[in-house]
Amino acid sequence: MHSIPLLLWPVWRSWKNDLLRGQQSWGRRAALLALAIAFWLGTYLTIRRVLRYFETVYGLGPSLAYQLLLLILLTFLSLLLFSNLVTALSTFFLARDLDLLLSAPTRLDAFYFARLIATTVNSSWMVLFFSPPIFAAYAAVFGGGAAFYLWVLLILPLFLIIPAALGVLITHLLVYWLPARRIRDILFFIGLFAFLILYLAFRFAQPERLVQPESFGHFMQYLSAMETPSAPFLPSSWSAEILAGALFKRPAEQGFFFALLASYALFLPLATSWVASAVYLAGWSKAQESRQGRRRTERLDRLLERLTRPFPAVTRALMLKDIKTFLRDTTQWSQLFLLAALVVVYLYNFKVLPLDRSPMPAGTIRLIVSFANLALAGFVLSAIAVRFAFPAVSLEGKAFWILQTAPIALGSTLWSKFWLNFAPLLILGELLVWVSNLLLRVPPWMMTLSLTTMFLMTFGIAAIGVGIGAIYPKFNFDNAAEIPTSFGGALCMIFSIAFIGAAVMIQAWPIYQLAVAGLQPGRSAVPQFWIIASSSIAVGVLTVAAVFLSLRLGLKSLEQLKG
Amino acid sequence: MIQLVNLTKHYGKLAAVDGLNLEVPAGQIFGFLGPNGAGKTTTIRVMMGILKPSAGQVLLGGYDVERDAVNAKAISGFIPDRPFIYEKLSGAEFLDFVGKLHRLESRRLRHRIAQLLDLLELTPWKDELVESYSHGMKQRLVVCASLIHEPRILIIDEPMVGMDPKGARTLKDLFRALADKGTTVFLSTHSIGVAEEICHRIGIIQQGRLIACGTMAEIHDRAAGKDGNLESVFLELTREQITD
Repeated sequence: MHSIPLLLWPVWRSWKNDLLRGQQSWGRRAALLALAIAFWLGTYLTIRRVLRYFETVYGLGPSLAYQLLLLILLTFLSLLLFSNLVTALSTFFLARDLDLLLSAPTRLDAFYFARLIATTVNSSWMVLFFSPPIFAAYAAVFGGGAAFYLWVLLILPLFLIIPAALGVLITHLLVYWLPARRIRDILFFIGLFAFLILYLAFRFAQPERLVQPESFGHFMQYLSAMETPSAPFLPSSWSAEILAGALFKRPAEQGFFFALLASYALFLPLATSWVASAVYLAGWSKAQESRQGRRRTERLDRLLERLTRPFPAVTRALMLKDIKTFLRDTTQWSQLFLLAALVVVYLYNFKVLPLDRSPMPAGTIRLIVSFANLALAGFVLSAIAVRFAFPAVSLEGKAFWILQTAPIALGSTLWSKFWLNFAPLLILGELLVWVSNLLLRVPPWMMTLSLTTMFLMTFGIAAIGVGIGAIYPKFNFDNAAEIPTSFGGALCMIFSIAFIGAAVMIQAWPIYQLAVAGLQPGRSAVPQFWIIASSSIAVGVLTVAAVFLSLRLGLKSLEQLKG
Repeated sequence: MIQLVNLTKHYGKLAAVDGLNLEVPAGQIFGFLGPNGAGKTTTIRVMMGILKPSAGQVLLGGYDVERDAVNAKAISGFIPDRPFIYEKLSGAEFLDFVGKLHRLESRRLRHRIAQLLDLLELTPWKDELVESYSHGMKQRLVVCASLIHEPRILIIDEPMVGMDPKGARTLKDLFRALADKGTTVFLSTHSIGVAEEICHRIGIIQQGRLIACGTMAEIHDRAAGKDGNLESVFLELTREQITD
């Protein structure tokens, strides 16, 4: 089986060469490392604070922390499964080295295991990056000690391999069974799967249970429901069960759950290898068949022509090209399913929120939720910007030379991509805030303030997406869906969240002032308009800085591509 | 029409192009020859503003490619060695896009698209997405794109790669016809046959330096005593440099 290391060698070597001899300077790497450490610290401190707060809730602390752990692990599991589906399609069926490897005397089982390892590593690094501060925070608050860390180390590889093997299995079956003359059908299905996973993840979590103790009839019944997973057949629940045993010193059958996890982690890759040996070559052969298509979208083309008419000729040409490419590329538009899932789940949240059962006055809690909603909606927009705005420059791919040799300023390319992403993000952001505020029945000033802040924040979010996408372009990709999972994608998310955090913090003061004024009429001396206007101007200044800094740095970086 | 002034491009310590001086007058087809890794593609990429020079200057029609990039590019057309284009656009849409980047007026653009697709025999496939084109068809589409704005300068990197004999003949005839009408053609190639057949002047580059430049007769004189064909002269000159 020494051919498995051989098959992984080019991947490992390329990574090592890039690290040691790549074009990125050591100073820049040190800065990125510092940023990563800052992010870890931030996550650690936030989670620790939340857990400490949970601890103050008499008798319920560990149960709430356990539910949060379940939710985090379930989120990781869904992310891993989706990421593995996308990566497996690329590593097993689309990668450029497949011709070389499969025309060589490579053993199919060695090829399968090598690709499974590559898929697992490619898909899991984000979870590996984000999880350590979370686990460390749990250990710090609940004192898991060495045993807890040992369990984390034992569980993590098994937890990563299960969704990887499942992702590879599903991808193989899809490519084999579907009339795979067009890969896009498969990606369409992947989009649907992701939709289902998200929806199920949400339903499994049953967040409304946390705030409805009365529906359990008895406090002990409530407590016991809080201490059991809502989806006991998922690896995330088994892992949470093992970790909870170490953290909360409660009796748990750690050995049993570990055996369960290990048996699945061993069985699934093996079972997938049997399936792969039976269907891989037929599937790969189908995936090779030509992907050709004639365009049949004249009506849509005319509509697009009309919609982009207000823009200058060159910007319009760039926009039309980008829109058409997007709509004809299933790897791109199938992600819209994810978006739809996100919006549905998001708004559903507000519909089922039991605000009337809160001990606080309903008006105050509505304002608090609406304020949190501003940050949450910004977070949703950031996630979407990482999916769509961040890859905008990279999607030029190897055809980027066309823009480089055209008689246009590269800046106009960046601005066209900015506006193209800004418009749909704005519509979505305002819709999220408007509908959720309607459901919350907030006062008119809160509606105005929320809509204004979201309007301003969208400029920053779109610019950070496009700008960082230009700083970290990935012109060499097998599958467009893999662009956001790159390092630059993570960085884009971090900056976007930092920007939203700052903008929302600026608005905290006026919201507090106006909320107090609402409770005690006549107390506030400052008129409503001036409070909203002054804080909005501050957010505006922050936004202008974010937009110009991101796009300027992006442009500079694109110009530096000239060497 | 084309001027390279002391053009230098370093990749780290390696000088890919090393103090290149060259002038190509209007209406001339200039063949840029050299072995693999000699610096041909780097020179061309610097000429088109895709790479920045480490030192020196490129003037296209009198415009400095670095300082006056938009004007320099507006009068130039470029055909790269590998035809990477937007796979999800149809051939006609791609040409329409490039024409708009060059700010062509729409009636003239429509006329040029039809004319060029016809000339390079792509009309039957104009509405097919580029992803279904063969390599040769993509190459011909890139040629159409490079000519859409009737450039005064045409810069070409390895034009015959992946071309069938008929396509290659069409291109050679096209380049000659363009030069006759005053277009300056700068053509980098491995193929000595192509250079011999259509170029008015030839430059031979090795290790980033121009080791010979002139008309076919002048190049022959440089390698005096060698037999008549350009291939043996080329091999002799490039060998001499290595032994030096």
